[in-house]
Amino acid sequence: MTTTLNRPAAGAPAASKTAPTFRQRLNVFDVKASPYLYIAPFFLLFGLVGLFPLGYTFVVSLFDWHLLKGQGEFVGLRNFVEVLQDRFFWNSLFNTVSIFLLSTIPQLVVATGIAAVLDQNLRAKTFWRMSILLPYIVTPVAVAMIFANMFGEQYGLINNILASMGIDRIMWMNETLPSHIAIATMVNWRWTGYNALILLAAMQAVPRDIYESAAIDGAGPFRRFFSITLPSIRPTMIFVVITATIGGLQIFTEPKLYDPRSAGGTARQFQTTVLYLWEMAFQRQNFGKAATIAWLLFLIIVLFGIVNWLISRRIATTGDAPANRRLRRAGLTTTRSGK
Amino acid sequence: MITALTGTMTLAFVATGCGSSSDEPASAENPVELTVTTFGNFGYDDLYAEYEEANPGVTIEANNIDGSANARTDAFTKLAAGSGLSDVVAVEEGWLGSIMEVSDQFVDLNEHGAQDIKDNWVDWKFEQGTDPDGRVIGYGTDIGPQALCFNQDLFEEAGFPTDREEVAELFGGDDATWETYFDLGREYNEATGKAWYDQSAFVWNSMVNQMEEGYYTADGALNVEGNEAMRAKFDLLAAGTADGLSANQKQFDWGKGKAFVDGSFAVHVCPAWMLGTIQEQLESAGGGPETGWDVADVFPGGASNWGGAFLSVPESSEQPAEAAKLAAWLTAPEQQVKQSAAANNFPSTLEAQQQIVEDAVPNELFNDAPYGAIFASRAEGVVAQFKGPKDSVIQENVFAPALKILDTGSGTADEAWNEAVKLLNELVVNN
Repeated sequence: MTTTLNRPAAGAPAASKTAPTFRQRLNVFDVKASPYLYIAPFFLLFGLVGLFPLGYTFVVSLFDWHLLKGQGEFVGLRNFVEVLQDRFFWNSLFNTVSIFLLSTIPQLVVATGIAAVLDQNLRAKTFWRMSILLPYIVTPVAVAMIFANMFGEQYGLINNILASMGIDRIMWMNETLPSHIAIATMVNWRWTGYNALILLAAMQAVPRDIYESAAIDGAGPFRRFFSITLPSIRPTMIFVVITATIGGLQIFTEPKLYDPRSAGGTARQFQTTVLYLWEMAFQRQNFGKAATIAWLLFLIIVLFGIVNWLISRRIATTGDAPANRRLRRAGLTTTRSGK
Repeated sequence: MITALTGTMTLAFVATGCGSSSDEPASAENPVELTVTTFGNFGYDDLYAEYEEANPGVTIEANNIDGSANARTDAFTKLAAGSGLSDVVAVEEGWLGSIMEVSDQFVDLNEHGAQDIKDNWVDWKFEQGTDPDGRVIGYGTDIGPQALCFNQDLFEEAGFPTDREEVAELFGGDDATWETYFDLGREYNEATGKAWYDQSAFVWNSMVNQMEEGYYTADGALNVEGNEAMRAKFDLLAAGTADGLSANQKQFDWGKGKAFVDGSFAVHVCPAWMLGTIQEQLESAGGGPETGWDVADVFPGGASNWGGAFLSVPESSEQPAEAAKLAAWLTAPEQQVKQSAAANNFPSTLEAQQQIVEDAVPNELFNDAPYGAIFASRAEGVVAQFKGPKDSVIQENVFAPALKILDTGSGTADEAWNEAVKLLNELVVNN
C-alpha cells in the first residue's frame, strides 16, 4: 500500500515540465494549510482567555489601581519593587514551597508504589483501580471541611486521640509546620490516586516479556521494579512531576477552606501566594499590587517549568539519541516525509 | 489556574455602559424581574413571596451568600467589574466604609422618596446610610445593640446569681464597667478554673465599637497609634486574657458549637444578631434550652452597637425605581417585625422596635428571655461611630492576629500592641 498524499509523485513524467494546474495548487495549499486551520480554534481561544489577560495583568501592575475606585496613576515598576520588599510576599512563597514539597514528594512516592501494586495480577483489578480514584471525585470543598474538622485544635478527632494517649495537643492551625502538614494531607488525599492511575497506565505499556526474562535471570521483584519499571516510565513520571509542580505552586482552595474566615491563618501561618494575591485584591483592595503578585507568580512558575524541562531533557533522552544527532548533522539520516 | 485568574481579572475590567433605565412601573402587562443579594440569616424568604403576591408583574430572584465576608468579596468584585450586582444589595455595617468611598455607584434614594420615610429609623441608623454629600445610599435593616449572654449553670457553679436581673446588677447595672467584667471573670476563674469568655477579638470589637471614635476619627483620620484611651482598653483586655479568662476559641467556629455546650466559657458579648448565631451553633452541637444560656440587660462600658445591615440599589440596576420600592418595603417597620421573628435580629425602625417590645415573644432557647424589651433597652444611648474605609481590614487583619498573640499566650500586651501597630502601617498606611 502506498500512501495517498496528493502530491505529484516525484519523477512522474507529467508534472516535470508543465506548470501545475489550479487544482493541483489548491491541493498543495490544502495539505499545507489545513493543519493550521484545525488547530486555530485552540490558539484563538488561548489568545483570548490566556494571552490577552496575561498582558493586561501586566498593564494593571504598572498602575496604582484601587479595586473599587479603579485606575489610578502610572507608577512604573514601583509595585514590583514594593512587593519584592514585602515580608508577607516572601512568607507566602515560603509557605507555598513548603506545602508543595510536603505534598508532592510523598504523593509521588506513594502513587508510584500504589501503581506498582495495581500493576500486578490482582483479583478484582478494576475495583481496586476505581477505588483509588474515589478521593479525586469528591469535591475539594467537602474534603477541606472534613479535614478541617479532623485537624481541629480543641475538638478535632486527631487531637482527641492524641490527648487520650496522653500526648500534647498539636496546634494544627496556629503553628506553621503542623498547618502545612494538615493542608498537604488534604492535597495528597485528593491527588495520590489520580497520579497513581497515570503512572499505572505507563506501567501497563512496559512489555511483559522483559519482566519474564529478568525473572528467569534471577531478578527479584524489587530489582525488577527499580531496574525495569522505573526507567521505562520516565517520560510519564516527568509529566506527572511537571503538572504537580504547576498545580502545587498555585494552591488556593485547600488553605482557603482550611480556615475560611482568614486569608491563610490569623498570622499568615499557611498563607500561600495565591491566597496573598486574593487578600491583596479583595481585602486590601490594592489591585495593582495583586496584579504584580500574579505576574511574579507566573514568572516563578515559568522558572520552575524551565528547570523541570532542563532536568527532564537530560533524563528522558534515550541512549541512542546523541548518536542520532551526530548523524543528522552529517546529513546521513533521512528525514521522514510529512514532518 | 493562573491564566484563569488573570482571565477573570481582565474580564472584570470590560467596562459596561450604564443600563438604560426603562423605568416603567411594574404591572401584569409590564413584568419586571428584581434580583436581591443578602447574606447569612436574613429571614426574607416569606417576605419575597408576600411582595410578589401584592405586586403583580414583579418576580424576585433571590440570592443569599453564606456570610458577611463572602458577601463583601462578591460585592467588591462586581463593583470593580462594573456589572453583575443585583438590583438590591445587602451591605454590612463593617464594610459600609469601603462602599462609601464609591457611593456615587449607588442610587441616591432621596430621588425615590427616602426623605418621606426618614423618620421611620432611629436617627443614627439613617445617618450611617447617608454619604458626605447627603446622598442616601442604604435603608437600614437591623441594628446590633449589645447585651450580655451568660450561662446559668456555670454561674451557679461559681456561686454567682443566675436570675437575669440579678446578673445585670452583679455587673453593675447601668454603670457596668469593663473593670467589673474582668474582675468577675477572675472570681469565676478562681472558683471553677475555667475561662470566662470565648476569645479576645469579640470583646475587643465591643470595646472599640462603644468608643466615640473607633479606628478612625470622625473626620476620617486613622486613630490607633498613640491613642491612649484605646491602649488602656487593650491593656485591660490583655491582663484579663493573661489571667486565663480567654478560652482561645476559633472566631465564629467554636468547635462547630461544641464550646457552647461543654462549659468552655460562661459569658459572651451578644449583639442582637448573635442570638441567631448562637442558636445555629447550639443546633449543630445538639444543644437546646437545657444548656442554660440566658441574656441579661446589661453591657460593660454602656451602650454599644456591633453590626447591622443596609439595603442599597446600585447604579447598574436597570430598574432603580422598582428596586428602591422593594428596598423601602423590605425595610418598612411591618416587614422588619417579620424579619426579626424569622432571623432573630433587632429592627432599626422605631415602630418595629416598639412592636417587638409589645409582642414580648419570649426567646425559648435563652430561658424565655424577653428579647424585644432587653434589646430595646440596650439600643438606648447608642451613638453611631464613623466607620472608615479600612475598618474591616483593621478589625480582621490588624487586630485579630495581635489578639491571637494574647489568646495563645505567645506574647505580652506590649508585644501584641506593637504587632498591631506594625501591621497597621504595613496593611493600611503603606498599603
